[in-house]
Amino acid sequence: MIRYAVFGFNPMSVEAINRLDCNCVIVVDQAPECLKQAEENGLATAPIDFRSDEDLKSIGIGKDIKTLFCFFPDDSDNVFLTLSARAIDPELHIVSIVDDPDAENKLLAAGANKVINPYQICGRKIYEWIKKPDITNIVDHTVFGRQDLHIAEVEIPEKSPLEGMLISELQLSTRYNLVLIGVVDKEINDELHFAVGERDHRLDADDILVILGPSRAIRLFRKDVTHVGKN
Amino acid sequence: MLARFLIYIAYLLKNAARYQRCKRFFYDLLENPKSKLKSRFDIFMMVLVIASVSSLVYEVEHDEGVWSLYLENVVVSVFIAEYLLRMWIYSDSHQLIIDYYEHCEYLSIRFRIMTALKKVIAKKLAYMVTPFAIIDLLAILPSYRPLRILRVFLIFRLFKILRYSQSLKMFADIIKSKRFELQTLLIFLGFLVFIASIAIYLFENRSEGGTVDDLYDALYWSVVTISTVGYGDITPLTTGGRAVTMVLILTSLGILAFFTSIIVSAFNDQINGLRISRTFAELENHSGLIIICGFGRVGQQLAALLVADRQKVVIFDISEQRVEEAKQEGYLSLVANATQNDMLEKAGIKQNVSTIIGATGNDVINVYITLTCRHLNKDVQIISRANRHENVAKLYQAGADTVIEPFIVSGLLAAEYIGQPVAFEAIIGILHGQKNIVLEAVKVKAGSLLEKKSISEVDFHKQRLSLVGVISQNAKHLKRKNRYVIKQQHFYFNPPMDFKLQADDILVLLGRATSISHFRDQIEQSHLLG
Repeated sequence: MIRYAVFGFNPMSVEAINRLDCNCVIVVDQAPECLKQAEENGLATAPIDFRSDEDLKSIGIGKDIKTLFCFFPDDSDNVFLTLSARAIDPELHIVSIVDDPDAENKLLAAGANKVINPYQICGRKIYEWIKKPDITNIVDHTVFGRQDLHIAEVEIPEKSPLEGMLISELQLSTRYNLVLIGVVDKEINDELHFAVGERDHRLDADDILVILGPSRAIRLFRKDVTHVGKN
Repeated sequence: MLARFLIYIAYLLKNAARYQRCKRFFYDLLENPKSKLKSRFDIFMMVLVIASVSSLVYEVEHDEGVWSLYLENVVVSVFIAEYLLRMWIYSDSHQLIIDYYEHCEYLSIRFRIMTALKKVIAKKLAYMVTPFAIIDLLAILPSYRPLRILRVFLIFRLFKILRYSQSLKMFADIIKSKRFELQTLLIFLGFLVFIASIAIYLFENRSEGGTVDDLYDALYWSVVTISTVGYGDITPLTTGGRAVTMVLILTSLGILAFFTSIIVSAFNDQINGLRISRTFAELENHSGLIIICGFGRVGQQLAALLVADRQKVVIFDISEQRVEEAKQEGYLSLVANATQNDMLEKAGIKQNVSTIIGATGNDVINVYITLTCRHLNKDVQIISRANRHENVAKLYQAGADTVIEPFIVSGLLAAEYIGQPVAFEAIIGILHGQKNIVLEAVKVKAGSLLEKKSISEVDFHKQRLSLVGVISQNAKHLKRKNRYVIKQQHFYFNPPMDFKLQADDILVLLGRATSISHFRDQIEQSHLLG
């Protein structure tokens, strides 16, 4: 089943697709040679016109597709695509890149959930390398890299064993080999409360824990949080 | 006998460390354009010159006070000392003698003491006839009582200011660069003055009914007229004289225009160079400079971040328009090609540059910048942007320490965002320092309270910190699990309670910025005490 649609085939989309690591991606591009390249890489493609709502619906937007990546080089194309897709499916996750920084607000207004500015990110990254080389090195190779260390968010369901526990009682580092970064309490606001040094927080349902660790540990923890809750 | 003594002294001086140090100090003080000492000394001398000339002006209408006499004595002694010191450091006399002696030995001819001394004196004389040395001397001489008549030369003290002011020196250099044009003009002007003077004298002398008494009057009149000043104290009365005047006025307008255009074009030619050397002069006083090559969008973003962090940044770009933009933003910037060795050297790549960033959108240029910089300095940190993935290896090969691929990083972030937006924003917020919680590296210093302690003994929780991991190259940790190999380092994620910290391990800590700096201070203190 197709779950991700990637519009625009370029190095950025290749990296994103590699990262998603599943066979549920469909690639759309206006240029036939790009589509051909994508096919050679073993990706599903669709030769559709992104300007037509019917075409968008035909590949599954509004139905199966949950996430849309707008990787077109032109901001106007990305804005148009975002706008059309948002009109078809209000629940869709839309991530778009932006070329001109001024277009960021336009994309957000058109309904994008996340706007990524490659130049800004690159500038930031270089700055981080100058400022904190050790930290950046570690983070780039683990969280954003190929090593098995990831960040994850775990939402606490109703009747989970974690409900009513204090953050300090979780002991994630010894019990699960995880480091707790923080908690978002949706009832208060979307702000992240960090796990250390803050006032101790009592967990309740719908809180989101942000954790860091190897994928096995994350899976295990996630299972424990949800599984027991069902009993 | 005397000759041998002279040679002995020369060798003695050559090997005397203190003498060399002393000479070096005075060189720094007086001549070395890069030393801070010189700039202070220059200011001091300017103040001295202005004070002495002011007291001179004051004396014109007032009585000579005791203080002004003291001042005069001080000023003159300083001037004399300066003059002699400059003469001293101008050449190494002992070296001249030694060279001559070795030359004699080699050719086995007799060492003549007079020849040796002549060589030394010739060199010193060469110094004495340089324009600045003459000005210096003229500034001193008038204070010698019998030469009071030379008082007018005291004005030369003002010329001494030239010596101490960089910008005035530049002005002189600019004029010098147009020497040929100015010479031509001067010859033409002299010719014109000559003709005009003769002509006006012929037409306007007393016998012809004019007001010109002699040739000096004629010369005075023609200079006043040519300069378009025209006082009018001598005016032509005869028809012939008026005709000469009209021709002279029109010609002099042309000459003035020519003169102005020479000066203006000289400035235009030099102004860019002047600006650049100004910028370089400013750079010399900083260490830990960061050079950003390319002021595109990446460069702009980076410069803004670095400047906000109070880092000293210089921007190189080949496009004048971009450099103009950068200047408007208030950055130090140069229209310069970062692949030119001399530009990089002037910016101090060998001394005060810590990091070079190739941020252009062209990988070919980035590779070339990296290669050039690495060639010039083995230790400087080079970070480069790679726009195409296949060029990453080339950049590393050219000597880059870190290569960043904007499009790959962006694609990665886009994918990372999916499915975990909250966690993503959290980690990005931490990394960008947008929240008050930061991820920081803290080094375990040898002899500090952390060394040889286990994790359980260091109560991170009490410090309101959370230990994410330890970066270490220490072989003692190798059998621990949760080990991630990153380049040459090992990262131990979530180390167990019995993990013993070793010197030079780096702790990766999560916490409020204040807790981390407090923790760091504690380590620093214990390191100093230990």
